[in-house]
Amino acid sequence: MTEEQGRKGPFLRGENTTRRIMGDVALALMPALTGSVYFFGIRSLLLVVTSVITCVLSELVWEWLTGKQITAFDFSAVVTGILIAFQVPVTTPVILIIISGIFAIIVVKQLFGGIGSNFMNPALAGRLLLMVVWPGKIIQYVPAAGTDAVSSATVLAAMKAGEQGNYSWLDMFLGYVPGALGETSKLLLLVGAGYLCYRGLINVKASLAYILTVLVVTFVLGGGHLFGGDPVTNLLGGSLILGACYMLTDYSFISARGRLIYSVAAGIITGLVRIYSSYPEGVCFGILAANCMVGLLARFEQKHVYGTKYDKDQKTAM
Amino acid sequence: MKKNSSGFLGGIHPTDGSDKALTVQAPVTEVNPELVEISMEQTPGNVCRLLVKEGDFVHRGQLIGIPQTFAAAAVHASVTGHVTKIKKTGSLGEVCVIRAEEADTAPEVRSYQTEWMENDGITREDILRSMEKGGIIGMGGAGFPAFRKYQTEKNIQTILVNAAECEPYLTCDHILMREQPMGILNGIQLLIKAAGAAEAVLCIEDNKLDVIENFRTILKKKEVPIRLQELPTMYPQGGERQLIQSVLDMEVPSGGLPADVGVIVSNVATANAVADMVFAGLPLIRRYVTVSGCVERPGNFLVPVGTRFQELLRKAGDVSAGQNQMIVGGPMTGYCIGTNVRAERAEGAVSKATSGILILPEQVTTETPCIRCGACGRVCPAGLNPFKIDFAYRNGKLDVCRKLYATECIGCGACSYVCPARIELAFRNIAARNAVKQTFRKKGVIQ
Repeated sequence: MTEEQGRKGPFLRGENTTRRIMGDVALALMPALTGSVYFFGIRSLLLVVTSVITCVLSELVWEWLTGKQITAFDFSAVVTGILIAFQVPVTTPVILIIISGIFAIIVVKQLFGGIGSNFMNPALAGRLLLMVVWPGKIIQYVPAAGTDAVSSATVLAAMKAGEQGNYSWLDMFLGYVPGALGETSKLLLLVGAGYLCYRGLINVKASLAYILTVLVVTFVLGGGHLFGGDPVTNLLGGSLILGACYMLTDYSFISARGRLIYSVAAGIITGLVRIYSSYPEGVCFGILAANCMVGLLARFEQKHVYGTKYDKDQKTAM
Repeated sequence: MKKNSSGFLGGIHPTDGSDKALTVQAPVTEVNPELVEISMEQTPGNVCRLLVKEGDFVHRGQLIGIPQTFAAAAVHASVTGHVTKIKKTGSLGEVCVIRAEEADTAPEVRSYQTEWMENDGITREDILRSMEKGGIIGMGGAGFPAFRKYQTEKNIQTILVNAAECEPYLTCDHILMREQPMGILNGIQLLIKAAGAAEAVLCIEDNKLDVIENFRTILKKKEVPIRLQELPTMYPQGGERQLIQSVLDMEVPSGGLPADVGVIVSNVATANAVADMVFAGLPLIRRYVTVSGCVERPGNFLVPVGTRFQELLRKAGDVSAGQNQMIVGGPMTGYCIGTNVRAERAEGAVSKATSGILILPEQVTTETPCIRCGACGRVCPAGLNPFKIDFAYRNGKLDVCRKLYATECIGCGACSYVCPARIELAFRNIAARNAVKQTFRKKGVIQ
């Protein structure tokens, strides 16, 4: 009887693999992608496909050049690619999408060690780059198909400018509003999120905590006076649901309580940016700032190790 | 980390129960092999000295191996016949091959298997001596000699009789409870006496409702210090420390033994073996073994210790999957002894601690980078962060492993089960635990 080296127990493994999880997330984004083609035309598909190809190729080339294990086909770069395109308007020049994708994968993801080791969400960082360097190029929103609206400002931008909203809650929910490719139709995003819930891949508590915090902050401070904000427009108008369901809990390894703190922090920053900054949208900043706090939160994490409550010196594992 | 609904930290649901359904209703087959191969190293590292030589005639139940190490237990011949060969192997010590010459007559049903026994005339010392003489080991897998556990000077209040059988596929304890309820209960009475405990708790997972119902009916009829505890089905509910946490809401101190908190945990099969020895003088030479997975007729087999795996696989109708791996024990904590196995090529034989033989489809996994999902930490029943220990161990930082409490790993495999990156967390956490224990014990830092 010889124990075969290299054959390591346990001999049952769960069904989730990185590839399957990322594939599921990509699948969950398909309804919203379909919606973006319907609302904004075939050019949105071009942007998404360009973005995905850029991300996967960047990852593949980098891993090949540095001699690392090839993980380019585990769908995580695909998800990053889709999410980058989902956050920009349909008028965005293709070259910017390519730059954003390369930046997200090479600088934000690979330079910090590749999947799992990056300290912030690459898709959000890619979008941040565009916002900071080419702000004028990614604010040319167009009305969605099927509406007779002339204004092409996003709902949140209009609200920020103090204009009266032209869109009904139902329009905002279904996606008949100007906006970035993938963020407008809350219905389609929630369909995908429902699938991820079914597969157990979304931390529902964290997502809800994030959304609720944003709503509370914008309701309390958002209007001209205390408690004068408009939470519904804040919920349905921007990319809050996209961020909460698909970007928030990416790569956070903290405990349930840590995640709650993390989500609330992200929500507060998102809300404050929406209210007080010159940007109408704050999801990107909120989540990125919270991403940077993960290390700190994890440090304070108290995890009880079995059998150590009698141990006077150390009570918890690091 | 909070305890989950099952009463211990973390935990997983590896399967939907269809794995156990493969064997739980199948008829139990009694096997009378022509040949047995009895190892003098029933559990790794615990050596016995062989008392017989080639050509000797031995009787069923005759002592043939005397323990040489602290954690070894006496070994007995499991069939009557001539010793045809003595093989010297590396990992199993000496292996005594006996050809059975006398067909095993069907054992008569004894009174302890059907009714409550009086044990007033039996002293604690009698029971301990019987356990030692009968070569009775803990049948839950680790195989530590039962008498050593019960010899403790500590004040024991509670015996936990472990019938959780939380490992997927295995049903041998379930079958034993179905076939020998009275033997088990009489055995538990003996265990209570052997430890001087106040009560015993029979702990069964709620996927074995038929035996729970049966035990409940029996226990209702008589006033005995045995309590039945139904536990939620979750892995590793049957881990010694986890069971204590679920049932008694206590934790065994790090580096300590259950006896330190007044508890002894014994497997349900151990209880039955003690009854066999005390009431019928039968040493531990037979056990139930589950043969399951990709075989034509999965089922449970009552076999003499030393029955060869190839014989068992033949009884189960040979292997039905081409690309397979053969596992001894449960799929979570067992070990692989070969791949692409056919019955005639299966090496090895049943030991006292063999609970099952599983043929599972071969799995080839590639480790990918950790995505920091934290799943391993959420399921760890010891409350560890397996990915951190893994990282520190891979970088050779044993002091960091120690600070991360690598010593508390119970080796259940839950972390590797959930890891989406297919990182061999359990393998290296166990390695880290062993390395830390070895290194720091030498330095005298830990016990």
